[in-house]
Amino acid sequence: MNVEIEGLTRRFGSATAVAAVDLRAGPGVFGLLGPNGAGKTSLLRMMATAVPPSAGTLRLLGRDPGRYGPRTEIRRMLGYLPQNPGYYPGFTVAEFVEYFALLKEVPPARIRVAVTTAIDRVGLGDRRKSRLRTLSGGMLRRAGIAQAIVNEPELLLLDEPTAGLDPEQRVAFRALLRDLGQRATVVVSTHLVEDVAAACAQVALMDQGKIVFHGTPDALAARGNGQGAGDTPIERGYSAVLAAARS
Amino acid sequence: MTAVITSPAASRQTRRAKGLATPRLLWLELRHNAMAWLVPVAIGLFWLTTYHKTVAMAPFWDVRADSLQLNAMLDFAIPVTGAAAWMGSREARSRLTDQVTITARPRWARLLIPWAATTIWALTAYLGCVAWLYVETAHQAPWGGPLWWPVVVPAVGVAAFAALGFVVGTYLPSRFTAPLATIAAFFILALSTQLIHGSQSYWNVSPIVTGPWDMGPQPGVATFYPFVPDLSIAQVMFLGGLTVALLGALGLPAGAAGRALRAAAAGLTGAGLLAAGTAVGLAGTGTLGTHGMIDIPALHDAASDRPFQYTPVCSRTAIPVCLNPAYAGYLAATAHALAPLLNQLAGLPGAPARIVQDSVTYQQGTGNCVAVLWRGPSASATSLFSVVLADQLPGPAMTAAQVGDQVASMYVPDLVTRVIGDRPGASQAQSAVARALEMSSGTSSFMSFQGPQGPNSCGPEEQGAPSQRLEVAPGTPAYAAAKRFAALPPATRHAWLMRHAAALRAGQITLAQLP
Repeated sequence: MNVEIEGLTRRFGSATAVAAVDLRAGPGVFGLLGPNGAGKTSLLRMMATAVPPSAGTLRLLGRDPGRYGPRTEIRRMLGYLPQNPGYYPGFTVAEFVEYFALLKEVPPARIRVAVTTAIDRVGLGDRRKSRLRTLSGGMLRRAGIAQAIVNEPELLLLDEPTAGLDPEQRVAFRALLRDLGQRATVVVSTHLVEDVAAACAQVALMDQGKIVFHGTPDALAARGNGQGAGDTPIERGYSAVLAAARS
Repeated sequence: MTAVITSPAASRQTRRAKGLATPRLLWLELRHNAMAWLVPVAIGLFWLTTYHKTVAMAPFWDVRADSLQLNAMLDFAIPVTGAAAWMGSREARSRLTDQVTITARPRWARLLIPWAATTIWALTAYLGCVAWLYVETAHQAPWGGPLWWPVVVPAVGVAAFAALGFVVGTYLPSRFTAPLATIAAFFILALSTQLIHGSQSYWNVSPIVTGPWDMGPQPGVATFYPFVPDLSIAQVMFLGGLTVALLGALGLPAGAAGRALRAAAAGLTGAGLLAAGTAVGLAGTGTLGTHGMIDIPALHDAASDRPFQYTPVCSRTAIPVCLNPAYAGYLAATAHALAPLLNQLAGLPGAPARIVQDSVTYQQGTGNCVAVLWRGPSASATSLFSVVLADQLPGPAMTAAQVGDQVASMYVPDLVTRVIGDRPGASQAQSAVARALEMSSGTSSFMSFQGPQGPNSCGPEEQGAPSQRLEVAPGTPAYAAAKRFAALPPATRHAWLMRHAAALRAGQITLAQLP
């Protein structure tokens, strides 16, 4: 298992963002669904080693991120795209991705190829020399995905990766997710349930800091039979699970 | 549980990756550094406030170097503080904190690179400007060589202010941090000298202090004696310690680095603070040395108290006028001003064989007042007659011609007194001849020299007894004899003096015997 979580809790002051979450995930694409404020981003940030948990245990790629040495090893094999990714406007796409490759300690001999491959995989090959300030929102998000995958991570954490992408790009991105999921654990946080249905083998639904469903997209869709609101079976399953959790 | 073992080969590869990544990261940071945009601003400031002012000063290395340290420090430290604060706050402003935090490179190692890039830009521009000014000075200065300590202090100061701005930007990130840090840097530098009271002040550690505060650059300093680097060493120690402490502070927060690196950061911070504190303490023990520079006993090298050995530049006048080679530019005017009298005195008993330039000494007065002292002309009949040039004394800068006129005003009466013996008790004939010689040399109206007085000097003071002479009032027989003697052709006057000088000095010549 690349992700092993037990009783993971994160508090910000008196507010509990993530409450005693248990989760295990191996290679493949794992969808993390939930309404706004459910705790998806906080859970992802803990998994990304950006913030430490308040309680519980977390093991990533077989290592304990609470200790500096193992955390550094995890980070070398980690990719992360936050919900609101930042960028340096003056950098070109290639420089931005190379910057992260250097910070992620990609072997120097591989950097050039890794940067080119990552940029090509997100479809920005023809904009590699464009400054980031000249790109559209969707292109910036793709540049963010490129920096996340430049080190060919074994654990890839993507927070709302399809926000701002046009339909064509979303389809291409789902294909990329499936490809990445062949060898890595990809955790995708989203509130767009169709993305999960199209790309994820496993899905978890969070609400009020807790995981209220964990299973396959088909199992989630089955929860919506005859109940819940939505246009597709998985949307109906999503709303039915949330309604049950809140009742 | 999975056991994770890192092989030695993998560790070597990681170390190699880190080592090779650093130059590339530095290159990227240099390409996208805010200081690159501020370099033209800093150079423009240097051109306006340092270069123009400094090249207008007399071409003495000490004067130029002092002016360089004071002004260039302001020109470069202030912009670099703002640029560094901008770079330090960049990650937070760009919402990249999470993305860079989760990379393998330690936060400390990551943050040092943009600081280094900012400093490299500023230092490159600064050193270019120093080269510009020093090449210009090398073409103008007749003697001596560049002083490097006044160059090193602002260089370390630039690194220190870059570290200060960067740390402030990192820990207080906002779009307002950079402009506020820039303004703060200006006030820190400008106000750091306001509390200086006398030479023994802790505030002398400020990098814009080059010597006794408010005395300003003095041509007489580091011309006859070597430059004393005591204060510069303390300043470099302070600024270097501050830089190390600030950069160490970047590695202190939890997660900034591993345990060993954080311990190193804590050690560096402590060592830096210790060095900075020691430097402040040392600066507080400084006193104004007799040669015009701050001496710090713990740092002072006695070798710097030994005067320079130099070959003076001499005029071809009847009695040679010899100056320190740094003052070669003043020789022609000085010799020209003294030549009429020297032609009259040459060969007379008691006349000096040579006029030589002497150094002045400095003495701390009350507050920031500095007394400038020099030896008066020797009363004994030695072969040398010492002079100081007005440019060695506090006061406004002078042209070579003005310096020559001042020398004539200061020393013609003393030279005449020395040869003719015009002292209290002298005969009327001695006084008349003395006045006649002064008249013929164009300085008869001069009675006593009032030296130039700077705003913070206690005034120049001549050591030794001032010459006291009998007044020769118009309408008296002595005055008429003086006018008559002055009207003689120079050759006739000199020939008479050659024959009668000894008798005149002995008081054996009467007014009636004067031609």
